[in-house]
Amino acid sequence: MEFASLARRVLDTASARGARYADVRFENVRSERVEVRNGVVASLGDARSCGYGVRALFEGAWGFAASNDLTEAGVDRAAARAVAIARASASIAREPFGEVPPHAYVDRYVTPMQRDPKTVPLGERVALALEAEKLAHASDRIAVARAWLDLWRTEKFFYSSIGSAIEQCIVQTGSGVQAMAVGEREVQTRTYPGDIGLYKSGGWEIVEEAALTQNATRIGEEATALLDATQCPSGTLDVILGGSQVSLQIHESCGHPAELDRVMGWEANFSGTSFLEIGQLDILQYGSPIVTITIDNTLPCGMATCGYDDEGTQCGVSDIVRDGVLRGYEMSNDTARAIGRQSNACVRAQSWEFVPMIRMCNLNLSPGNVPFDELFTDIREGVYMESNRSWSIDDRRLNFQFGCQIGWEIKNGKRGRMLKNPTYAGMTPRFWNTCDAIADANSWNAWGTPNCGKGEPMQTGRTTQAAAPARFRGVSVGVAYL
Amino acid sequence: MTGKDREAVALRTIERSRADQTEVRVGVSDRTLMRFTRGISNQNLASSDVGITVRAIVDGRTGVATANDVSDASIEALVERAREMASFAPRDEMLPPLRRGKPAHSPPGCWVDATARAQPATRAAICDAVMDRAEQAGDWCAGYVSTESEGLTVANSAGTLVSFDGTDSQANVKVTAFDSSGFAEQYSTDVRSIDGDAIGRRATEKATLSEKPVQVDPGAWTVILEPPALGELFAYILAHFSAQNFSDGSSFCSEGLDRTYFDERVTVMDDFAHPLAPSMPFDYEGHRKARVTLVENGVVRNIVTDSYYANKLNRANTGHALPAPSAMGPQPLNISIAPGTRSTDELIAQTTKGLLISRFWYIRPVDQKRTIVTGMTRDGTFLIENGRISGGVRNMRFNQSIVGALNSVEFSNQQQRTAQYSYSLVVPAAKIERFTFTSTTEF
Repeated sequence: MEFASLARRVLDTASARGARYADVRFENVRSERVEVRNGVVASLGDARSCGYGVRALFEGAWGFAASNDLTEAGVDRAAARAVAIARASASIAREPFGEVPPHAYVDRYVTPMQRDPKTVPLGERVALALEAEKLAHASDRIAVARAWLDLWRTEKFFYSSIGSAIEQCIVQTGSGVQAMAVGEREVQTRTYPGDIGLYKSGGWEIVEEAALTQNATRIGEEATALLDATQCPSGTLDVILGGSQVSLQIHESCGHPAELDRVMGWEANFSGTSFLEIGQLDILQYGSPIVTITIDNTLPCGMATCGYDDEGTQCGVSDIVRDGVLRGYEMSNDTARAIGRQSNACVRAQSWEFVPMIRMCNLNLSPGNVPFDELFTDIREGVYMESNRSWSIDDRRLNFQFGCQIGWEIKNGKRGRMLKNPTYAGMTPRFWNTCDAIADANSWNAWGTPNCGKGEPMQTGRTTQAAAPARFRGVSVGVAYL
Repeated sequence: MTGKDREAVALRTIERSRADQTEVRVGVSDRTLMRFTRGISNQNLASSDVGITVRAIVDGRTGVATANDVSDASIEALVERAREMASFAPRDEMLPPLRRGKPAHSPPGCWVDATARAQPATRAAICDAVMDRAEQAGDWCAGYVSTESEGLTVANSAGTLVSFDGTDSQANVKVTAFDSSGFAEQYSTDVRSIDGDAIGRRATEKATLSEKPVQVDPGAWTVILEPPALGELFAYILAHFSAQNFSDGSSFCSEGLDRTYFDERVTVMDDFAHPLAPSMPFDYEGHRKARVTLVENGVVRNIVTDSYYANKLNRANTGHALPAPSAMGPQPLNISIAPGTRSTDELIAQTTKGLLISRFWYIRPVDQKRTIVTGMTRDGTFLIENGRISGGVRNMRFNQSIVGALNSVEFSNQQQRTAQYSYSLVVPAAKIERFTFTSTTEF
């Protein structure tokens, strides 16, 4: 569909209604899912959605209106509605806040991929999921096995009243397999890859990288073995976290608290606030000196990788934590200006019908210089944990408790017997300051999170936290089962 | 689109389908929400959409296709895509044939014109009233006010044709003082009953009352959970009442129904017609919803089913299907916990030492089968000493079995609707003995 002429109409209407600035984001979205559960294709879906969202700025206040009505009358109504809503925002504002974005771009971006998923026949996708699910039934104690594939394609067309015209085609792909073993009074679950599958931007090669069928039997066996495994001990122990769990740790204890809208109180009633207050910038020793966490929205295969964010800001790389010190935030145009900075393109909307807001995007822990196996060598007593099972953190992102699907005892530098129900807890900066080793780039992967929740109405964001396994000293372990 | 318009689209879609059996959902929505914080509206939005979903069944195989375009061309493509997809699925022997659903009548109060027609200024006035209350106390606040209308029609080739139209409005606020905060919420299908001043006052009073919070030791405490806290906790046990979880062995009650799992004072219903939260009288397959007694005086009596699990487990279909395609099985969506006999004030007055908890945050399952969950308190946690609230308490983390908590519980005599993005429940306050906290915070 030709959106440029409709966009002109939207922007003209908004301007005629009094908007100082307006932008419009048309999207064609296609979501395909195959999910197999116990031999049955429980979900075989193909959903398409097309619509647009209009942002209008009036007297320093924003309004947003979205619609699927692509007629000329429809876009007129949506533009007028956005301005009327902006006027209502202005009517209660104690001070103006919104400003016209500083830059305009005319550009095009397409997700690089080796094999476009749309060229993979549906029969092949279903067969892969059925095979992986079947292999996960490694014993008769596996009550439920699942395998799934998600293929997402979003075509975006962004136009603004200051001259931006940006076309993007973003392709994201994910897949996973899971086995759930049921015993007496307990359930043990193993998922592969990570805790939710492997999700990246890119094509069918992401599904191939996941190697579901090569790993399905193993995770079924591990789920079964966990039923008879030793309970993870409680106490203060050294801990090694697998890469996907480090990814979750970054997501919850760095990604969310570094969202500048949250820092400024914009999420206070729901997602919460943040301990990373603006006065801590360039001062707070967030982690040990080996901890460097960057936003890189150009990262190959990152779920949030694209050319421009949903405010039309060009993507790039910036620091959140450098050598352990807090150096920045995830920002939008308005929030960045409030602290004297420029946006780092961290604004995303779930899809056309949602208002754009700050998301953590690709937030990556730089790899260390230690081969993975050497993380174990000088641990006298500890636990190695993999694949998240439970995650909870307070509304300032300080007090956390996470649990993993599986653990292994570490004794005198060696990985030992399997442990069930491993959990650990801590306070965010204290915990990151105990990080004394990060595995090298050979163990580093771009772990995607396809279901990050934030905002009201709730929006699902797709983020990546690239990470390698890491070692933490003197961690509180097993508190959930005291 | 009116209900009649949607029904016409649904019937036209079924006519064009070449599948053995066809189910169609046609939905329409108009949602608005105004967020506010620190004296500005940080997000203020409206979104309207239509949706059409076709579930095609061919020789026991199912495919589902969805679009937000109800033109003839879109419908034509949709029915073909769903039928084509079905051909790639293996035959499912447990899949029952589509059936003609019985007529289902909406409970009173589902639709309120004033809510459907609410303008941005209506929402702004409510937000303004909340902000005024907080500012008068020298505090700041963040929250939202929303209004929405939606309609859904479900039809199938066996003759089902049902429609529902409903409205809803919500307000939710956190007021933040120097070292404390307070929370309040209100829900109604009628936006005219949303009282910004009252919500703002309630949250501000909580923030004031919890100033200068003290730290108390973790451990086993007597707690009184206000409805938002009980609702957040109970939401994490809802899936255990699904026929899918029950039958796969992961539910706490998988060992059997008609057994006592809870305190005898616990009675729980799934009730779509509850006056505090009237909702859709049929499920996403168009099957009439039953009002299901899940727990009766501590005994688990029922689970909820959809057509698939009713067939698989040889039970009645209670009408709890989720929108296809879904691998989550049937789910209870309209939970009501029966009230007790004493007021919350009386429960407090009869507590020698305990904690009054306004709200929980970030509850997550730790141990599925044992229903152990962890989470934090937030926005108003108070120490009760000798029957009186003596002040605020710093936030704490708990690890607690939900079934265990409800083994020694007394409910207050007043129910309230409480909600989050993933649930809407009608619950009273609850006094629970030996609720386990495992750590505290410095705020």
